[in-house]
Amino acid sequence: MGSGALSVRELALAGTIAIAFGLGSYYATDEFGRFGGLNLAIGSVALLIALIGRVRRFRGLGSSVSRRALAPQILLLVLVCAGSILAERLADRAGIQFDASTDQRFDPAPATREALARIEGEVRVTLFFEPFDPRARRTRLMLDTLARLGPLQIEELAVDQAEAELDRFGVSSANSVVLERGAQFEVVERPTEGSLLEGLLRLENRVSQTLYVALGEGEGDMTDGGDLGFAGLASALSTEGYEIRGLVTSAIREIPADAAGIVIVAPRRRLRAEALTALATYLDTGGRLIALLEPGYETGLEPLLERYGFGLPPAAVVDPASGPVEGLPDHTSPLVSSYAQHPATAGLSQRTMALLPGARPVFALRKPRPEDHLSGLAFSSHLSWLWDRDRPIDGHAKPARAPGTPVRPHSMSAAGRYPRPQGETRIVVFGDSDFARNAYLRSLYNLDLIVNAVHWVTASEERITLRPKVFTPTQEPLPPEYALRMLYGVGLLVPEILLICGAIVWLRKRSA
Amino acid sequence: MRPLMALVRKELVVLFGSPVAYVTLTLVALVTALLFFDHLRVYNQILFLYTSTVMGGFESGTVPGHFNLQDQVFVPLMEQLGLTLVGVIPLVTMRVFSEEKERGTEELLMTTLLTPHQIVVGKFVATYLFVSLMLAVSFIYPVTSVVYAGLGEQHIAAVFLGLLALGCGLSSIGLACSAFSTNQLVAAISAYAVAFVFYDFAWAGSFVNETVASFLDAISINPRFRPFAEGLVALEDVVYFAGMAAIAYALARLSLEWVRVR
Repeated sequence: MGSGALSVRELALAGTIAIAFGLGSYYATDEFGRFGGLNLAIGSVALLIALIGRVRRFRGLGSSVSRRALAPQILLLVLVCAGSILAERLADRAGIQFDASTDQRFDPAPATREALARIEGEVRVTLFFEPFDPRARRTRLMLDTLARLGPLQIEELAVDQAEAELDRFGVSSANSVVLERGAQFEVVERPTEGSLLEGLLRLENRVSQTLYVALGEGEGDMTDGGDLGFAGLASALSTEGYEIRGLVTSAIREIPADAAGIVIVAPRRRLRAEALTALATYLDTGGRLIALLEPGYETGLEPLLERYGFGLPPAAVVDPASGPVEGLPDHTSPLVSSYAQHPATAGLSQRTMALLPGARPVFALRKPRPEDHLSGLAFSSHLSWLWDRDRPIDGHAKPARAPGTPVRPHSMSAAGRYPRPQGETRIVVFGDSDFARNAYLRSLYNLDLIVNAVHWVTASEERITLRPKVFTPTQEPLPPEYALRMLYGVGLLVPEILLICGAIVWLRKRSA
Repeated sequence: MRPLMALVRKELVVLFGSPVAYVTLTLVALVTALLFFDHLRVYNQILFLYTSTVMGGFESGTVPGHFNLQDQVFVPLMEQLGLTLVGVIPLVTMRVFSEEKERGTEELLMTTLLTPHQIVVGKFVATYLFVSLMLAVSFIYPVTSVVYAGLGEQHIAAVFLGLLALGCGLSSIGLACSAFSTNQLVAAISAYAVAFVFYDFAWAGSFVNETVASFLDAISINPRFRPFAEGLVALEDVVYFAGMAAIAYALARLSLEWVRVR
């Protein structure tokens, strides 16, 4: 090449710079404009020409001596490339990963694993994302994790390029996921493991069982979405395949025949005699009941439950091991410290606690018949004691332990199974309803405790599992004085010291 | 083993005997600090808006769950630190092999007790050690604040492992480029170009079909680092970065043999 023409090296350098600028413009603007495309094209052509020129220069290396010397190294390179690709593919297939995230977000809960394993056929999963949205990155990883466990086919669509799909599914925001099977689809607006699981369960469209929820005597409202309501519980039960229907107890003479179970949530007034009679008849003939009873209220259910061996003393459980809960006196919001070995509490342990604010004791006293099974389910800590109360607990009351009051774990829930000729009766009684309110339902393992109890009562033991948990890291701001201390103490000091060291080295080298 | 350690020591002494090492370390520390405090400022400002009395304060439930120090400051910062490394590491790796060729000391090195394998490994190890130090320096700020925010030690360790893997991967590219170049500037520029191209092939996604796009995604660097930033250590990603190092090693060996043959 003459002095006027570009040498191979110059051409290669110019081509490389052009490619770097082309890609740099893409990273800066997230768009491949004319500038980027032109740079990439010119750079590639320049590199190709340089490469051809370089190869022509090395023709002399084609001698047999050179070939013998280079062949092992070329073979090594080929083997290393092939080995690396093979190892990566094998590692990908093995799917071995270690979830080091603080909230263990990539280690799906048993419920999610079971739901994914149960899926028949393929579920198409579409993530609608916005570029640079940090939430989408996490959702992507979550979906990849779930896709390893079940037949999920994942697709991603940028919201600005998928208007038709957005309209079709009614998706209103980025970082939404659509689960699709056949003609059915579910939109998950805020994808977490929990919400994706619920979407999958709804998509599964299982045969429903009907649960009747007692109404008319001041019971908890299953349609109220506020903190005090129970809409969350109703929604969770619907997701698990139950149809929830109201049952006005004052107007009934018998329990509907299609009832898979009756749910009674904290009546504030005594149930009418006719309702109690209908309930007794239902239970005597293999009925199923879940009762959530608050301390300080006479519901009329107590004598009926005593017939089945439950003890419901008018007291509240005081547990000094528990933390404070707003609106309630200290120590009156016991945590479940231990669970009985029972199908309804399968998977729950000392590490998966539940919170029962203002709970009353529920004892498993005596089995009506030898073939019956009766046991406590959830217990307070060994520091707890019973506070005699015939009134509801409020923030003004302060528990005081009378001398001689026994200190030991107290059962706050109990379950009984009674084989009868007409069918098996099952009853679960909780000494609290607050734990299932919207405000506390997703706290700790409250949701698992109540939903698994419902599954056990309705003889759906195969659905008993542990559901995903939500963890939100600290959302508090970093105090300005702390940030400033870090800026001066570390942020500027470290670079300064390094630069001083560099300057000293440079000066010494110059003077040497 | 002793000649190898001697070579590693010599490489580190040469590196710290020049101002380039300190300037590089300063640059990374300063850029990370600036990025970190900028993220922190934006986070505090937006959080202030969310928790203002107009929005109902902290108890109002208006602060979205993903708006926390971990997701808004730490994870994005780690991803940007990855891009910062693309800019800095070629400055460290450019001289490793090409300086020897430039000065003509390569032949001299080949006549020592060191085998070609030991020469390449020694230079790689010294570079990886320096990059590890650089990452440790840049990791100080986010860790101090994120410990405050409740990020677990395991998560932090996973992110650091990811940064180390990324640093070693990018160093491997730089070392391979340096091995095939007789000029430090050419080595640095070609390392930039290769690193930029491989950093994320997302740009090519719109030009190619789905199969090619998924292949390009599989060989991109950034998608391999992202899971580490989220606290997920996948074997395939570790193998990917190890593979990069192995290929760079084989290329450097080929380059040494090439010199000998010529």
